[in-house]
Amino acid sequence: MRGLGANRGQRSAPAGRTDDTEGTPSPRVRGAKSGAPPAPLSLGRGAGGGGAGGSVATLVSGRKRRARTSGGKRRWATLPLEVALLVLGAIFVAPCVLALLNTFKTLHEIIESPLAPPKYLNLDNLEYLFASVKLLAPMRNSVLMCVAVIGSLITLAPMAAYSIVRRRMATGRFLELAFLAGLTVPFQIIIVPLLQEFRLLGIQFTYFSLWLHYVSWGLPLCIFIYSRFLSTIPKELEEAAAIDGCGPIATFWRIVFPLLKPCTATVIIFWGLWIWNDFVQAYVFMGSMRGQLAFVQLWRFLSDQYVKNWNYIFAGVVVLSAPVTILYLVMQRSFVKGLTAGAYR
Amino acid sequence: MTTPTRLRPTFRPAESLVSVFFCGPAVVLYLGFVVLPAVMGFAYSLRNWTGWSLDAEFVGLANFAELLRDERLAQAIRFTVFETVLIVLAFALGAMVLAVLLDRARRMRALLQGLFFYPYVLSVLVSALLFQYLANYREGLVNVLLRAAGLESWAQDWMGDPALVGYFIFALVAWTGLGFFTTLYMANLQAIPVEYYEAAQLDGAGPVSVFRNVQFPMLRPALTVNSVLATITGLNLFSHIMVTTQGGPGYRTMTIGYYVYWQGVLNNRQGYSAALSLVVFVAVALVAIVQVALLRRRTVDL
Repeated sequence: MRGLGANRGQRSAPAGRTDDTEGTPSPRVRGAKSGAPPAPLSLGRGAGGGGAGGSVATLVSGRKRRARTSGGKRRWATLPLEVALLVLGAIFVAPCVLALLNTFKTLHEIIESPLAPPKYLNLDNLEYLFASVKLLAPMRNSVLMCVAVIGSLITLAPMAAYSIVRRRMATGRFLELAFLAGLTVPFQIIIVPLLQEFRLLGIQFTYFSLWLHYVSWGLPLCIFIYSRFLSTIPKELEEAAAIDGCGPIATFWRIVFPLLKPCTATVIIFWGLWIWNDFVQAYVFMGSMRGQLAFVQLWRFLSDQYVKNWNYIFAGVVVLSAPVTILYLVMQRSFVKGLTAGAYR
Repeated sequence: MTTPTRLRPTFRPAESLVSVFFCGPAVVLYLGFVVLPAVMGFAYSLRNWTGWSLDAEFVGLANFAELLRDERLAQAIRFTVFETVLIVLAFALGAMVLAVLLDRARRMRALLQGLFFYPYVLSVLVSALLFQYLANYREGLVNVLLRAAGLESWAQDWMGDPALVGYFIFALVAWTGLGFFTTLYMANLQAIPVEYYEAAQLDGAGPVSVFRNVQFPMLRPALTVNSVLATITGLNLFSHIMVTTQGGPGYRTMTIGYYVYWQGVLNNRQGYSAALSLVVFVAVALVAIVQVALLRRRTVDL
């Protein structure tokens, strides 16, 4: 990946170097990110780089030197490897390309000649999906659900994280641990009690109940991500604001929240993708009858069919993956970063 | 914290109110819709509860005792362990090899990595549908290609044959997650100081030797994280089953995670399901802790 590659040198830079596209305030967070066990990494770096500022230059130029001095012959040495990887990667995503091609073919064509490109731009399958399966409204609902959940998460989570990390609450440490514990709760165990709870509240199988579940289920990880980030940004700004007579709430919204932008971006990508792609939880909490989110609708349509209509399956897959794919093509780096951010919890 | 303390030395009720404003909504949602159902779920492990009726007879540890005699659970455990072993091999070792190769590529690295990562951004339902197409007996691409190549006898019912369906599930999981785990390795690889490579080069080390003596030892942090994550992925395998085989054919692909769901939601034995998930929860946590401890201890000091 380009981003990480460019960071090779900067990674070992002593504090203070910020890579704006990277987002997180440089080495500390990266260090924390690259390890539940950060010790071996930093140890290796200290020993190898000889520590201190000079090592940055050596590292960067060393890297460049390695590339430059390798000369003409060496530069082509990796070409077979690259070609082989490209072929492998192409095979890896071939099912997706195939789905795209087959979206524009009839069922007969798909079965007879699965690999052939479409004879012409046959839009029948897509038309059927939007006209008969009515996929557009569920897609809109999914987007609305994404917006509602993300909006709640990026306000509630940073506020809670802020009160845990910065405001000297007696219960702060306890709260932090309590939210951390939430990361370990297995999903299957809460399904039935939660459905029961929703029924008692009279909101069973509604968008509201699904929203409640998404938000409360997402909070622990979001709060964790925000707290870790918050503890790396200096508090002088907030103190200055407090001295200038800025109240705590205004301080948070005007000073702290804007500083959390990279973190917010991560949360938006992570949960946006998760909710858009989610089938299991939406299916469980909205039921198959009332479920009108995109993937539930697709599932419902497909399970009503007695034969495998691959043409509709491919078209549905392509339509529902298209928004994600386009965003991924445009901002691959942010996607990779946002999705791997939750890994080291 | 010094300045605010000096500014506000005394306890002020208004301050607590502000704190409540900050974390109150999150705490209420979390308590109400995560903690409460989890506690309820665990509490029902001591009861015989269908999940829908209001009366739940207290049965003590009977649910836990039944776990020991449950043949179907034993089968689910065997299948889950089988899948977990394959998944850990793929995500802890396969992804490592791929990451090292990708790291050696000078050109097109963003493109290459992007290709392998792409399935990870797709919905589980999407990858499941694509794989169901590939594996379909009559019309699936794999069999069509095999038949076209004159290998009719190789064509199999990949999803319906009890002997093969485990590999089908594994292929699906591996395809989805490989890029993700590779990315974690690549991030770790890029943290290895260049000096080590240069030293190895001076010593005349080839790629294999560099991998064995420099990269592999330095990849320990990512190896730890990845194998723990892969193990958890394998042991909690659930959604891939739900959108493909739903435990079938027969009960062949029943994983522990799906079995919990099946007993609790589909079979209306919530009490029993809660007991099972409590045990699974503790077991998975223990496995993860042991794994972290073992892998960390073997960290090499270069």
